[in-house]
Amino acid sequence: MNYDENINLQSNLFSVFIHLSILFVMIFTVQWSPQYPYFGEIELWEAVPTTKEQAQTPAKPKNIEVKKSEKSAPLESQKIKDEQAEINLKKKKEKELAEKKKQEQIKKLQQELLKQEQIKQLQDQLLQQEKLEKLQKELLEQDTQNAEQEIISEDKKKSERIAIQADQDMEAGKNKSEIDKYKALIQQKIQQNVNNNLCGLDYLSLSFEITLLPSGELLNDPVLKNSSGNLSCDEAVERAIYQSEPLPVPTDPKIFAKLKKIKLKFYPNGQPQ
Amino acid sequence: MKKIALIFITLFYLIPLHAIEVIDILGGKANELSVAVIPFQDDLIENEKNQIHNVIKSDLSRSGFFRVIDIGGVNKLPTSLNDVDYSFWSGLQTELLVIGRVQRGDEQIKVVYELIDVFKEKMMVSSEYSGNIKQDRQIGHQISNVIYEKITGSKGVFHTKIGFVQKINNNKYQLNISDMDGFNKKAIVTSTQPIISTRWSPDGEKIAYVSFEKKKPVIYVQNLKNGERQLVANFKGNNSAPAWSPDNKQLAIVLTYNNFSQIYVMNADGKNIKRLMRSRSIDTEPVWAPDGKSIYFVSDRGGGPQIYKIDLKTEQIRRVTFEGNYNVSPQLSPDGKLLTFITNDNGAFKVGVQNLISNQVMKLTQGRNDEAPVFSPNGHMVLYTQKNPEKETSLSTVSLNGFKTQVINTDSVRNYEATWSPIDF
Repeated sequence: MNYDENINLQSNLFSVFIHLSILFVMIFTVQWSPQYPYFGEIELWEAVPTTKEQAQTPAKPKNIEVKKSEKSAPLESQKIKDEQAEINLKKKKEKELAEKKKQEQIKKLQQELLKQEQIKQLQDQLLQQEKLEKLQKELLEQDTQNAEQEIISEDKKKSERIAIQADQDMEAGKNKSEIDKYKALIQQKIQQNVNNNLCGLDYLSLSFEITLLPSGELLNDPVLKNSSGNLSCDEAVERAIYQSEPLPVPTDPKIFAKLKKIKLKFYPNGQPQ
Repeated sequence: MKKIALIFITLFYLIPLHAIEVIDILGGKANELSVAVIPFQDDLIENEKNQIHNVIKSDLSRSGFFRVIDIGGVNKLPTSLNDVDYSFWSGLQTELLVIGRVQRGDEQIKVVYELIDVFKEKMMVSSEYSGNIKQDRQIGHQISNVIYEKITGSKGVFHTKIGFVQKINNNKYQLNISDMDGFNKKAIVTSTQPIISTRWSPDGEKIAYVSFEKKKPVIYVQNLKNGERQLVANFKGNNSAPAWSPDNKQLAIVLTYNNFSQIYVMNADGKNIKRLMRSRSIDTEPVWAPDGKSIYFVSDRGGGPQIYKIDLKTEQIRRVTFEGNYNVSPQLSPDGKLLTFITNDNGAFKVGVQNLISNQVMKLTQGRNDEAPVFSPNGHMVLYTQKNPEKETSLSTVSLNGFKTQVINTDSVRNYEATWSPIDF
């Protein structure tokens, strides 16, 4: 009995140690990966201004274009001037005033045209800017969408991981219930054969360790781990184990592996209440 | 960090070593071990009862620990180890196999036997006996003893003797001694008057008994060694219910010296008599505890007859039986842990046993009129007298395991008041 108590104390201490160590392992070594995407999200929002700056640089070529158009406009007006000069030579001074007026008109027109062009250019500019802004917005939206998608996908992964974990847990649970089932079957079969007639009247306990073959037969002789102190009782229990061959064992090798080696604790006259 | 990692690695390597599945198996089935006792080779004798295997069969089945299986239909019966087909016998759920060989000469007998564990496929015991041809049953009993002790851890009692009274007719009573199974009976006392209350002394040398030959009950002690007998108690009134002290030096007896039964203690030769206690009730049927420290007895001091116990040092008296309103004829097991007695169970008188530690009571028999129970020297059986409605009496044993009753085979239907020899007899 003292031995058992020692074992109990040892095993209790051991289990406390294991729990603490598992806790430690969980806290310090497990990656809290599901949290990382949220940090990323915040960074993305902070990164929006930098994307605006990037959007301004593509606007530069537009400015250049605008300048070019400004240059081309005077050239055209010069051509018109030349044509007008030829006409002036033919009609000479008679029409100088009218010409001047015309020129003024033309100038006005040109100016108007210029203005119009400028307006157009400005409009273009504005349009382009708008487009750019749109683009930027789109890009931004895309970015945010991407970010969101990333988050979603992270969430998905996370949930998948949880699902996998759940599956694993389920499988583990299944395995556990399977193990428990076979433990109960083994218990039942051996108990039937324990002839407690040979164990006197006292509350005895003893334990054997057995190693099983996948057929449920014993790989070797049961090993007496704790004697009851009553040789006949020990032997009666040992006979019960032999008599219970083949023991019910699971066909699933994974589950069998857990039951390959088992410790059988016997209380042939029950346990004191 | 590396160190920590190392610790954890070693830890997780250690876990599987301790994570061995444990199955608790509480209780069991009070099974009888199934044993096949195969007729021994060349055990040719007219009287089949004396065949070695039949002696062993009878002994083992009487004990309550064994179920002797019927091998009537089996063709190939092994007589040596090489013949044993283990899978056949395990298929029959036979746990043990007893095989052997006999050589019977004109004077001598030689017996070799093996006890085999069928499921382990191992020979447990083997030995050889030789002796006079008349000792064939004794050899059988010796083999039974070895098997019994090997399996139960307790000494077998198959070699021991019993004493009992046989009524031949109304004018002839015999005190007999026989083997515990009733064989080899011989009379040690013959009387024209009834004999009762036979008590074998713990050293096995004497039997005390009550005889009515003085026209009233008186107590004799019969010396088994020299055949002499001694009248040890012939006091005024009735002299009855002798009980040996564990050291053989004293007898507790009951006298009606003062009108009603009282218990006295005296030397085994009848000298130095003292009254054990003074009571206003009927005190009778004393029996010494094996440790010699107390005497159990029957008294009606509480109304009906119940069993009490007196501490010889402090003279403190304690009631022992509480179940039922009639408990008489106490006897203790050799270890002093069990008390057997006759209990009135709704008008039927049965053999009861009380565990003196838990005080749990079991009724061992189903009889209507059982009497005079006495423990076997190993405490595993109780020998008692069965009375049928025709007033025929026979002796029976009942095993504490399985409550198996088996009649003691004698040629008489008038046997009663048995006593059992000590184990070393």
